[in-house]
Amino acid sequence: MQITITVNGTTHTRDVEPRTLLVDFLRDHLGLTGTNIGCDTSQCGACTIHMDSQSVKSCTVLAVQADGADLTTIEGLANGSLHPMQQAFWDNHGLQCGYCTPGMIMSATKLVEGNPGISEAEIRHGLEGNICRCTGYQNIVKAVQQAAGEMGGD
Amino acid sequence: MLGKSIFRDDAHGKVTGSALYPGDIEKDHFLHAKLLFTGQPHARMIRMDTAAAEAVPGVVCILKAEDVPVNEHGLVMLDQPVMVGLNSKKPFSDVSRWEGDRAAMIVAETEEAAARARDLIEIEWEQLPVVTSPVEAMRDETIIHGEEPSNVYKHYRIRKGEMAAGWAAADVIVEETYQVPMQEHAYLQPEAGVSYIDEEGRVTVEVAGQWTHEDQTLIAHALDIPKEQVRVIYPAIGGAFGGREDMSVQIVLALASQRLREMGINRPVRIQWTREESVIGHHKRHAVTIHTRWGAAKTGELTAIEVEMILDAGSYNCTSNKVLGNAHLTVAGPYRIPNAHIDSYAVYTNNCPGGAFRGFGAPQGCFVAESQMNKLAIALGIDPVELRLKNVLREGEASITDTPLPAGISIKTVIEQCADKFEEPFSGAQVLPRSFQSLPADPKALRRGRGFACALKNIGFSFGFPERSEAYVELRGRGEIDRVVVRHAGADVGQGAHTAFKQMVAEAVGVPYEKVEGVFSDTAYTGDSGSASASRLTWMTGNAIRGAVEKALTLWKQEERPAVGFFRYQPPPTEMLDDKTGKSNPNITYGYVAEAVDVTVDIETGHITIDRVVCANDVGRAVNPNLIEGQIEGAVVQAFGYAVTENLQSKNGHILNPRFSTYLIPGIRDVPQKVESLIIEEPDPQGPWGVRGMAEMPFIPLAPAITAALYDATGVWFNELPLTPGNVRMRLKNTLVPDLT
Ligand code: FES
Ligand code: FES
Repeated sequence: MQITITVNGTTHTRDVEPRTLLVDFLRDHLGLTGTNIGCDTSQCGACTIHMDSQSVKSCTVLAVQADGADLTTIEGLANGSLHPMQQAFWDNHGLQCGYCTPGMIMSATKLVEGNPGISEAEIRHGLEGNICRCTGYQNIVKAVQQAAGEMGGD
Repeated sequence: MLGKSIFRDDAHGKVTGSALYPGDIEKDHFLHAKLLFTGQPHARMIRMDTAAAEAVPGVVCILKAEDVPVNEHGLVMLDQPVMVGLNSKKPFSDVSRWEGDRAAMIVAETEEAAARARDLIEIEWEQLPVVTSPVEAMRDETIIHGEEPSNVYKHYRIRKGEMAAGWAAADVIVEETYQVPMQEHAYLQPEAGVSYIDEEGRVTVEVAGQWTHEDQTLIAHALDIPKEQVRVIYPAIGGAFGGREDMSVQIVLALASQRLREMGINRPVRIQWTREESVIGHHKRHAVTIHTRWGAAKTGELTAIEVEMILDAGSYNCTSNKVLGNAHLTVAGPYRIPNAHIDSYAVYTNNCPGGAFRGFGAPQGCFVAESQMNKLAIALGIDPVELRLKNVLREGEASITDTPLPAGISIKTVIEQCADKFEEPFSGAQVLPRSFQSLPADPKALRRGRGFACALKNIGFSFGFPERSEAYVELRGRGEIDRVVVRHAGADVGQGAHTAFKQMVAEAVGVPYEKVEGVFSDTAYTGDSGSASASRLTWMTGNAIRGAVEKALTLWKQEERPAVGFFRYQPPPTEMLDDKTGKSNPNITYGYVAEAVDVTVDIETGHITIDRVVCANDVGRAVNPNLIEGQIEGAVVQAFGYAVTENLQSKNGHILNPRFSTYLIPGIRDVPQKVESLIIEEPDPQGPWGVRGMAEMPFIPLAPAITAALYDATGVWFNELPLTPGNVRMRLKNTLVPDLT
């Protein structure tokens, strides 16, 4: 099947098999390997991206379902300089092995939109679908809180 | 440069998605590989037919046991076949002892073709008795390794003092049986790798591991080629925790590249495991059963302990004999015990192999020692903190191996500081300092409790292992040192090791951090660093770096440009335990830790919440405090998973829940709301700048602190983990908590 998808501002038209997952399309067809795969059962959130301004787990979406969609992946988040959320994860040691990080950052950027004073409880609730095996989450919460303030509700 | 929380170097790649993990590496004209697991916990292969698989369009080759030149591997004992199958020169290679044993590696043009071919391989098996209970295995009715006389392949002893006198001196005796479960590492990045022949003709594997040079050695052994013809490179590693010490895809990838070269095909190969393959295909933390008796005088002094410990090694040794050794020693805790009788056994079964996992035997040993201390405290009516302080080892006193611990024992400090810190917010209340009394019960079904535990853990490999770490440091410039390049193999598994290494180089040379560059984790450019495990990496590397810098600076003064210093650090040798008594100097040095927790349990649902954790960890000297806090917070949460949420189920040798949907690692809402790290800096006399290893320690005492808090909350002791809601509820119900309906 032929699909047309805009990813990080560039429009791609490709032939894909109907069963191709969006995450595999991003990684294997477009070479965007920043989006990670951590599980087979939609639990871990490592594959989270933005699709038409919502965060989605790209392993739960078929590439054909994204036909015509506008996607942002971790590679498209920085705009010249790092996005405040990326900078905050770095500054607050919100990562160790970093495998969960792209998904965490993509979930978190959507989560804090319009909520600069987001509470710890809201952050924990909002990041429930993202697993981290390394950090214990404490620094991730700190990072998200810092970035939320800096993003000022954008 | 030490003591600064330098931002980690690798973070840029990790926050922008440009970091390359093994599964992200892109090469031209990749071939794709799939591994076929036997799926047989115990069976003998009778026939294997690959004809249909080979006929699948796109299949390039299928590798079997007979294709492995030396069909064996293992970190300590070579008891594991690279592949199970027929016509292997290695005896008993036709027997599958683990469902995760490998039967074939399929290399094809596409992943789909490889997967289709895998499904078409036909194997006929003769079923053998599947032994899953270590106690049953000890009867030796079915021998799991044909070449061994018994399934009980390791037995350690401690015989210390006079047991009769010890029991006679005891006013109180606590006798219990404990059962601790397997744990899955669940690093977020499933195993993956690529292999190819590099420009110098070396079989090259890029993979996530913990010890490049050990991977290189085991690949060379299996391929029967000199080590120099094998190259191992670690790209970004998505977590490890001990789970990447053993061989997952390393040898089979190398084998595929070697075969392709013989076939005249010069193309790289890649493999990517699914989560399910990862859980089925690698070792776990050991399940252990321990029966024990501890005696104490009414003044609190321990008088005697007796222990029998059975460790389920699973189907292959991996590092089980070493894990057993650690559990064997830590089961006595950091205490002065005049009379002891300990027997510990490692037993083969057809379960998933046990192996390295953060703590390496100490979580199991410590769960017993600390549970016993907490029970003795209740029985004696002594505050648990005071009871520990009465019994902890001091400099020069005989430890469980009848020799003193290496100098720099800080267990007393960590216990005191942890207890003091924990009490801070309560200082206004009527609670006595350092007392761990019950918190007031909440109405309805919620009960609150408080618990304490401490631990020690060796740093570095033990029992006579020839420990070493090699570093190269190169000073560049003319009059001034402009740039410093450190070359070291040590694996950055996510802990931030490479940032810490560079800080130590900057400190040793006396230049700003920005002037230091690193070349890491590539056997082509680095010396053997030993493993990223056993809380040893910063400690050993620091000592190697200091030596290399000293040499480089000497050459620099002699006007050598660039000045390259190489140093192989070797710590003082250690000893194997004496066969009969266990007497020995088994370890190089130790780290010390204490933890206190407040817990809420809902006695109707069995659901546990950790309200507060204080962890006091002696790190000797903090190289990078933020990285250290990250290790503490992460270790506590992993230990929470071990104690409460993670419940790996296995039946007839098959893991029943190899997915995150059913194996529940802690999520952001499950975890302790607040982990307070107390970084203590009592220098280790042997450590570089006083540094101590630290990354395993915060894992170790959490489980017994939680069970103590549960007792405080409910009056019921829990001797088995995990404390899942179902298990807690069931035990509370069975032990008849008065107001539980
Ligand atoms: S890969 Fe785990 S949720 Fe998508
Ligand atoms: S940093 Fe390793 S999984 Fe989050």
